[in-house]
Amino acid sequence: MHLEINNLHKSFGDTEVLHGITFEVESGKALGFLGRNGAGKTTTLRILMNLFKQNKGEILLDGKKFKVNDHQVGYLPEERGMYPKKKVIEQLVYFGELRGLGRKKATENADRWLERLGVTEYRNKKLESLSKGNQQKVQLAETFICDPDIVVLDEPFSGLDPVNAQILKDIIREQIENKKLVIFSSHQMGYIEEFCKDIALIHHGKIVLKGNLKDIKRTYGMNRLTLKDGMRTKEEVKDIIESRMGTIIRNVEIRKEQLILELHSGKEKQEFLQEAINLGLDIEGFSVYEPSLEDIFVEKAGDIA
Amino acid sequence: MRNFWIVLKFEILNFYKNKSFIIASVIICGLLIIGMSIPTIRDTFFSSSEDSIGEEVGSDQTYGFINSAEGDVNSKTLGNQFMGGELQEFDDREALDEAVQNGDLAAGFVIVSPTEYQHVIQNNEMTGSTHFMFEEAFRETYRITGFESLGIEYETVQGLVHAPIQRDTVVLGTDSAANYLYTYILVFGLYFVIIVYGQLVATSVASEKSNRAMEVLVTSTRTENLIFGKVFGGAIAGASQLALIIATAMIAYRANSNAWDGGLDFIFDIPLSVLGSFAAFGILGYLFFLFLFGALGALVSRTEDVSTSVTPITIIFVAVFAVSVMGMQNTEGMLLRVASFVPLSSFMAMFVRVSMGSVTNVEVAISLGILLATTLFTGWLASKIYRMGTLMYGNPVKITKVFKMLFSSNEA
Repeated sequence: MHLEINNLHKSFGDTEVLHGITFEVESGKALGFLGRNGAGKTTTLRILMNLFKQNKGEILLDGKKFKVNDHQVGYLPEERGMYPKKKVIEQLVYFGELRGLGRKKATENADRWLERLGVTEYRNKKLESLSKGNQQKVQLAETFICDPDIVVLDEPFSGLDPVNAQILKDIIREQIENKKLVIFSSHQMGYIEEFCKDIALIHHGKIVLKGNLKDIKRTYGMNRLTLKDGMRTKEEVKDIIESRMGTIIRNVEIRKEQLILELHSGKEKQEFLQEAINLGLDIEGFSVYEPSLEDIFVEKAGDIA
Repeated sequence: MRNFWIVLKFEILNFYKNKSFIIASVIICGLLIIGMSIPTIRDTFFSSSEDSIGEEVGSDQTYGFINSAEGDVNSKTLGNQFMGGELQEFDDREALDEAVQNGDLAAGFVIVSPTEYQHVIQNNEMTGSTHFMFEEAFRETYRITGFESLGIEYETVQGLVHAPIQRDTVVLGTDSAANYLYTYILVFGLYFVIIVYGQLVATSVASEKSNRAMEVLVTSTRTENLIFGKVFGGAIAGASQLALIIATAMIAYRANSNAWDGGLDFIFDIPLSVLGSFAAFGILGYLFFLFLFGALGALVSRTEDVSTSVTPITIIFVAVFAVSVMGMQNTEGMLLRVASFVPLSSFMAMFVRVSMGSVTNVEVAISLGILLATTLFTGWLASKIYRMGTLMYGNPVKITKVFKMLFSSNEA
C-alpha cells in the first residue's frame, strides 16, 4: 500500500495552520513524523483519520481517495481516552466489534494484546483503577486489536517508561516486518532514528524536510568531517585549523565530544588530510560526519518563533 | 447498521449495569408493591374493618335523654329512629348530668319542645359531633308525628321525596372524567422518563468527550451509529424501566384485587386507541427530546457543564408539560390546539387531545407526520453536532455558533 498526502491545507477560523503538507508512506516502512510542539503533527494525523476536514488537498491510498472507514486503521490518538468506569476487557471487545470483529475474535485479540503488553492481570479491572502507564498500554491494545493494516500513532512513546517503551518498539518493529503501513509522530528523535526509514519534518505547518533518513543524513554530512587528534585538545586543534587551513575549511565547530569541520565547496577530504599531515596533526580518528537526527531537527526547526 | 446494534447493545447494558438504575427501579417497584398491598395488609391485620364505618359513628356509646314534651314527642319513636348507639331515657335532670359527668353517657339531651332540645356534654370539643345522630332522630320523630297527625303514612311521603332515580350515562365522544387519571399518569410517566433519560443521555455524551473516548469512537464507526445507538439505547432503557414499573403496579394490583375490590380498575382500563396514540406520540417525542439532549451534551466538554447546557431545553420541556396538564381541563383550548401541532409539544399535547378531547384522525395524522419528520431531522442534526463537537474542547459551544459551523462546508 502506498499512502500519499498531497498539499493539505487547514485553517481554524482565520488562521491557517497547515500550509500544504505533502508526504508519502509505503507498507513495510515506518514514517517518522517529526515536528515541534504545535507544528501541526496532530492536526495532520487527525485529517488523515477524518476527524477534521482539510480545506484543500487530498489523501490517496494506492492512487484512490483514502476513506478511513473502509480500511482497518489502528489509531492511537494524542489525547488518550477510553471509558474509565468500564472494565478493560469489556471496552476492548466493544472497540474491536465496532471495527468489524466478531465478539469471539475481538475477545481473543484483546486477550492476546493484553498479554503481549503485559497487562493481562488487569483484564477485569476498571480502567480508572490502573496506573497511567498501564492505561496507555490498554490504549495500545485497543489500537492494535483489529490487526490494522495501517497504524497511526500520535506520540506513542510519551508516558512510557523505558521497559514499556522497549515493548512498544518491538511491537512497531513487528508491524513493519509484517508489511504494515506505520506512521508515527514524535519529537523524541531517538525512537524515530531507531526504526524509521523515512521521515517528514513539519515546521510551522510546512514540511521542511522529508525523504529517506539515510539520504538526508548523508546530504547533511556532505562537506562535513570529524577529526580526532591524539595529542592536542579540541580547542588547540580548532585554533590550528582556523589559522592555517582557512582555504580548505570553512567552519570549525566543537559539538559534544566531536570536532566538526566543514569543507569549502569544491574541496575534497583528501586535500584536507594531506594538509593535516603536513601540519603534523596526530590524526587518531577521521571520518565523514554523520549528523544525528536531532542535529538536523534543531537546524531545520530550531528557530525560536 | 451492524455497528448501530453493537453501540445499542453496549449503551443499553451500560444502563442496565448501572447501580443507580438498578437501585432506582428496585425502590420504585418496592414502593408500588407495598402501596398496592396496603388494602390487603389492612384487611389481614386490622380485620372486621368492613363494619368499622358503622361503628365509628354509632359505636357502642350510650346517650341519655329527658323527654319534657311527653305529649308531643313519642319517646319510643325517637328511640327507634336513633342510630348512634343506645339511647336511655332519664326522668331526673340531675341523674342525667351526673351520668354525663362521670362518663357513663357520651352526651345527654333534654327535649324542651318538638323542635327544641338542650345538648348536655362534659367538654365541648371543636369537632364535637355527639348531637348529630340525636338531632337526626329528633327531626325524623317530628316529621313522623306531623304526617301522622295529618293522616298520611310517613313511608309514603319518604317514597315520594326520596324517589330513587336511575341514571345511565351514554358517552358518545370521549369520557374526560374517566380518562383524566390514566391520561395524567401516562403524561406524567412520559415527563418523568424524558427528563431523567434526557439528562442521562446528555451526560453520557459529555462524558465520552471529557474522557476522550469520543476520538477513538468516531474513528471506529460512523457518527450516526454512535448517536442513534446512544439515543435508542437510552430510550429502550427508559421505556423498559417504565414498563417494569407499570407491570409491577398491575401485577401487584391483580395480586391484591380482592382487597381493592376493583377500586382502581378504571386506571388500568385504558382503551387500545389511547394506548396506541400514547405509544406513537410518546416514542417519537421521547426520541426527539433524547436527540436534543444528546446534541446538547456534545456541546460541552465536561460533565459538570451538562446541566447548564440542557437548561433551555429543560425549561421548554417543563412548559410543554404544564401546557398539556392544564389542557387536560380544557381540551378544546386554543393553546392546547396549537401545542398539539408544534413538534416540541405535540407528542404530549396531541396525546392529551386524543385521550381526553375530540380530534379528527386527519389532525392526528398531520401532527404525527410533522413530529416524525422533525424527529428524523433532529436525529440527523444531532449526529452532525455530535461529530462537530468531538474535538471541541474548552468552553461550552454556543448554539448560534453551532449552526454557523454546520452550514459552512469547511468545518468537519
